[in-house]
Amino acid sequence: MRRTDGEVLLLGALPVVGVIWLSAFLLFPGFVQPMSPTMSAEEVAAFYRDPENLPRIRYSMILFNWFAVGFVPILALIVLQIRRMAHRTPIFSYAILACAAGGPTIFLMANLFWLLAAFRPMRDPQLTLMFNDLAWVTFSSQVGFLIAQSVILALAIYLDRQERPVFQPWVAHFNLVVAALLIPSAFTGAAMTGPIAWDGLLTFWVRNVAIGLWIIVMAVVLGRAIKRQRAEDEAVAA
Amino acid sequence: MSASAMGNVPEEPPGSLLRRIAWHWRYDEKRELWIGWWTLVVFYNLYGLLFFVITRTQPPPEPSLGSSEVVEWFADRRHGLVYGYAIVFIVGGATAIMNATLAYSMRRMSVSRAFAYSYLVIYALATLPGMLIMGVACTVGAMRPDRDPELMRWLYDFAFLSFEGTMGVFLVGSLVWMLAVLLDENGVFPKWFGYLNLCNALTEVVVAPAWIFKSGAFAWNGTIAWWINMGVFVTYTIVFLTLLRRMILREDFGTGPLPDLSPGRAPAPSGLLKAAR
Repeated sequence: MRRTDGEVLLLGALPVVGVIWLSAFLLFPGFVQPMSPTMSAEEVAAFYRDPENLPRIRYSMILFNWFAVGFVPILALIVLQIRRMAHRTPIFSYAILACAAGGPTIFLMANLFWLLAAFRPMRDPQLTLMFNDLAWVTFSSQVGFLIAQSVILALAIYLDRQERPVFQPWVAHFNLVVAALLIPSAFTGAAMTGPIAWDGLLTFWVRNVAIGLWIIVMAVVLGRAIKRQRAEDEAVAA
Repeated sequence: MSASAMGNVPEEPPGSLLRRIAWHWRYDEKRELWIGWWTLVVFYNLYGLLFFVITRTQPPPEPSLGSSEVVEWFADRRHGLVYGYAIVFIVGGATAIMNATLAYSMRRMSVSRAFAYSYLVIYALATLPGMLIMGVACTVGAMRPDRDPELMRWLYDFAFLSFEGTMGVFLVGSLVWMLAVLLDENGVFPKWFGYLNLCNALTEVVVAPAWIFKSGAFAWNGTIAWWINMGVFVTYTIVFLTLLRRMILREDFGTGPLPDLSPGRAPAPSGLLKAAR
């Protein structure tokens, strides 16, 4: 039997990390009213130079830098549930592990660009504009690993053919819907205004809400799956 | 419940592709491997189309362009860059299942799991310098044509040097696969494929001067740094796709029980499946 000690603790840490993510999100002055891509270099530089904004930019991004990888344990727990599924190879669990390695690294790149822009706000506004563009484009367009982990998880669930599957089929459907909602933001470079722009309805609001919802829903179904697994393990041990 | 355990597996139907795919989805015990393999095939074709035709970033342009020429370069292919890389960003995560399938080939070999795990993690990170950073740099360059030309040239350098100049992930990744193939006693891949891995690793060594030369054979678009590199890579990819397909065709899951179900509900895995997990 595999050891399951500590899994509940890892899952229980998620709400705490979630509160930190939400606080960092609200703290960053560029998120609550997302910055527009149409801002000029001077306006972007002024945003970073504003003494009201500067500490909030730094502290929020430091928080993200600390806790963005808090996402990884959740994926690791999903990997362990996939290994309990009725598959003949470990391909799906390996693939989710690969997503866990790739995804947060990309988010940290965006985080670095924001922090760099804020480190010396008196730089040439053209440079601040470029760091700001790199940050927003990386943050908005890099949905590939999130899409992949949802699609791979959905495939794993559909192919989990046993009497009591680890996750119900609706979890797979839900993951496919989330993956579809993330697709438009990959096109963020194509528009400076409108729903696809990085401050737009689809790219900013729909994508971020979808990611938030995915974390909440997956935490709940993971919690149930882990609970059931423990009950079954105890029944066997007894 | 596996199909063979139910006893009556219908024949694969002739006729439309969709019906055949449905049959494989329902009954083929190797479906997980085929999903991985077909993802590899579709992805590499798409990768070629996106980089060579849609974004027109391969073969690479000259490193020696002046800043105003770089601005023109971005302007010339603006839509291709923005839409082409958007598709790269959407499908980029598919590399996860591709690398998982290749890592699985190493799990079938008589070597430590450390090989499969190293390969998986190294290639998960390789996605960034292999295409995503380049995509971000090109998108940022294309979306604001009026940016300071010197900064446009910085983005241009960032794009091509991250793509060609990040060598270690492919170098060490290929060496890991090479060692696994050479040590393997299960005959998962032929030994000569081990040495082909060495060729692929060596191309990453000869690309290093791209960080120094701005023109000539060693520059990022040069005969040595790019053309030989790409030739080896394409050969290598076609070869491993073929060998991987043969491995999957040979793979015999038979009527063995499914591995690793919850305790008390599954019989002990057979030797073969134990090896595979």
